[in-house]
Amino acid sequence: MTTTARAISFAPVQTSVSSTVVLDDLSKSFSKQRGWRAVLTRKSHESVRALSGVSCEIRAGEFFGLLGENGAGKTTLFKILATLVTPDVGTAMVSGYDVVRAPERVREVLAPVIADERSLHWRLSARENMRLFAALHGLRGADASRRVDDLLALVNLVEAADRQVSGFSSGMKQRLLVARTLLARPSVLLLDEPTRSLDPISARAFRTFLRNDVALAHGCTVLLATHNAEEAFELCDRVGVLHRGRLVAVGQTSELAREVGEDRFALWVRPADQVAIDALVSRGVIRDAKAFVAAEEGWWRVECDLRGGLEGAAEAVAYLARAGVSVARCEPVKLSLADLLERVLERHTAAGA
Amino acid sequence: MHKVWALIRASWLAASSYRLGIVFSFGSLVLSIVPIFFVTRALQPTMANVIRGQGEQYFAFLVVGLISLNLVSSTIYALPGGLQNATSTGTLEALLATPTPVSALLVGLSGYEILFSLIRGALMLIAAGFLGARVEWLQLGASIPIVALVVLAHLPIAIITAAMVLAFRTRGPLPQLVLLLSTFLGGVYYPTTVIPGWMESVSAFIPLTYGLTALRAVLLEGQSMASVWQELVILVGITIVTTLLSGWAFRAALSYARRVGNLAQY
Repeated sequence: MTTTARAISFAPVQTSVSSTVVLDDLSKSFSKQRGWRAVLTRKSHESVRALSGVSCEIRAGEFFGLLGENGAGKTTLFKILATLVTPDVGTAMVSGYDVVRAPERVREVLAPVIADERSLHWRLSARENMRLFAALHGLRGADASRRVDDLLALVNLVEAADRQVSGFSSGMKQRLLVARTLLARPSVLLLDEPTRSLDPISARAFRTFLRNDVALAHGCTVLLATHNAEEAFELCDRVGVLHRGRLVAVGQTSELAREVGEDRFALWVRPADQVAIDALVSRGVIRDAKAFVAAEEGWWRVECDLRGGLEGAAEAVAYLARAGVSVARCEPVKLSLADLLERVLERHTAAGA
Repeated sequence: MHKVWALIRASWLAASSYRLGIVFSFGSLVLSIVPIFFVTRALQPTMANVIRGQGEQYFAFLVVGLISLNLVSSTIYALPGGLQNATSTGTLEALLATPTPVSALLVGLSGYEILFSLIRGALMLIAAGFLGARVEWLQLGASIPIVALVVLAHLPIAIITAAMVLAFRTRGPLPQLVLLLSTFLGGVYYPTTVIPGWMESVSAFIPLTYGLTALRAVLLEGQSMASVWQELVILVGITIVTTLLSGWAFRAALSYARRVGNLAQY
């Protein structure tokens, strides 16, 4: 990896022989579609860089999250691993098999959970969908039937097994997609935004299912692409942050949350004294403060990035009290994914500089 | 083979879930044979000399031609259609992510349509038999390899069209061209001997010409397979050459689609 593309590590990355997925300097560009005028005037091809020098190792049995905004390269990376797209440069190895040189072997050990409900055969029942893919994964006869029944039971679809999939809810379809993927007993599972079409309660239940019944029970290595920070923090052992095709950060989820997110606090104050907040900023106690938001019964809420964690919070509260500002509450705030990514990118830019 | 059957079975289950469609499909088949019977009976005096040596009864001659044309049409369109359908419904990406050989996927995605066309063809022949078509029924077994060869000879056109679909999301003009030429110059409605001058030489490059000549000789004239060996050799030759060409085209298209990243894009 080049200096500017160096991923910030939040914890020592252990290189291990048990790495299941190894990415080395992986790059991929796509040509922009040209209009007829560009074709006729022989204008040169413009391309969009989807991945650039991505290197990373994911260990066996690990739950690895990929974070990044739309167009960051997450889906391209997954498609390369699923052998649906070939990289321009670099290598991607899955369980020792090169995705370009041995795609058939890769497909035997890696399974993408294509979260798109359309990838199911809607006119078929859940059981028939499962039987079709069992056959495509080489399962036959009683072995296939047993496996299908077991997996339908695992995803709690036994009662609906013989119903046409077109009548399923989104949650049922998502569970069926996962069951279909597990038919192959994959050692690596790719999950691309698996809960995007689920309501919060179903999403939480689905995450519990992924963690307990898929990752832990089956011992799968799971790569999860998500826009949901809560999902990443709840499920993943480590996360990587992709930005414009570059892997700008890789680290333990807890480390990442602590290092970039543990200094965000919300203060309930009265009155909304901007001068006092500015003074804290100039004293270096507060790194950054957002605008006051009216809370309840005359109290104002302001979110601040405090230096020094709890010590900094104590210092800020004491200063505000001395300045005649009452503080009713001071509590840590979980960063949104957008804030988290913004901070990671700030660090990445600073490291590059 | 197990994977191919699984795909064909899934297509059958999906198609049979539209029960009315299946009923209409077979109903229209029976209904279409009746006007053909009356029209060919009216034309019999005119066509009798023209089709001498190819069954001599114009009704049976045309029925065999139409069944073969339907089969060719299904063979040519089934695979690109199946591929387009799998792309638009979103199932292609899931299928490609399984450890299934591409050849098995291709046959599996098109197999149901071809088999369905064969069953329709068999029913049409039986219906024609009830209406008095003179068919050598004992030769049915001998006609099966010829029918299989007709399908195999047209499968490469389907594969090349599928390659176009995979790479450029369009079928291109090839299937329409082949079907048009087969319809008018392949001997479906009249023997190729009545086609004037240079147009007749074009029919020499159409696989259906040889398939129909062999099929009518065996099924309508009761000749042995040995008597049509020249047609069969030409069909085998065309099949081998076009299969090699189509295999190369499909591999290139697959590689291109993987490179540009539109393999499963709608």
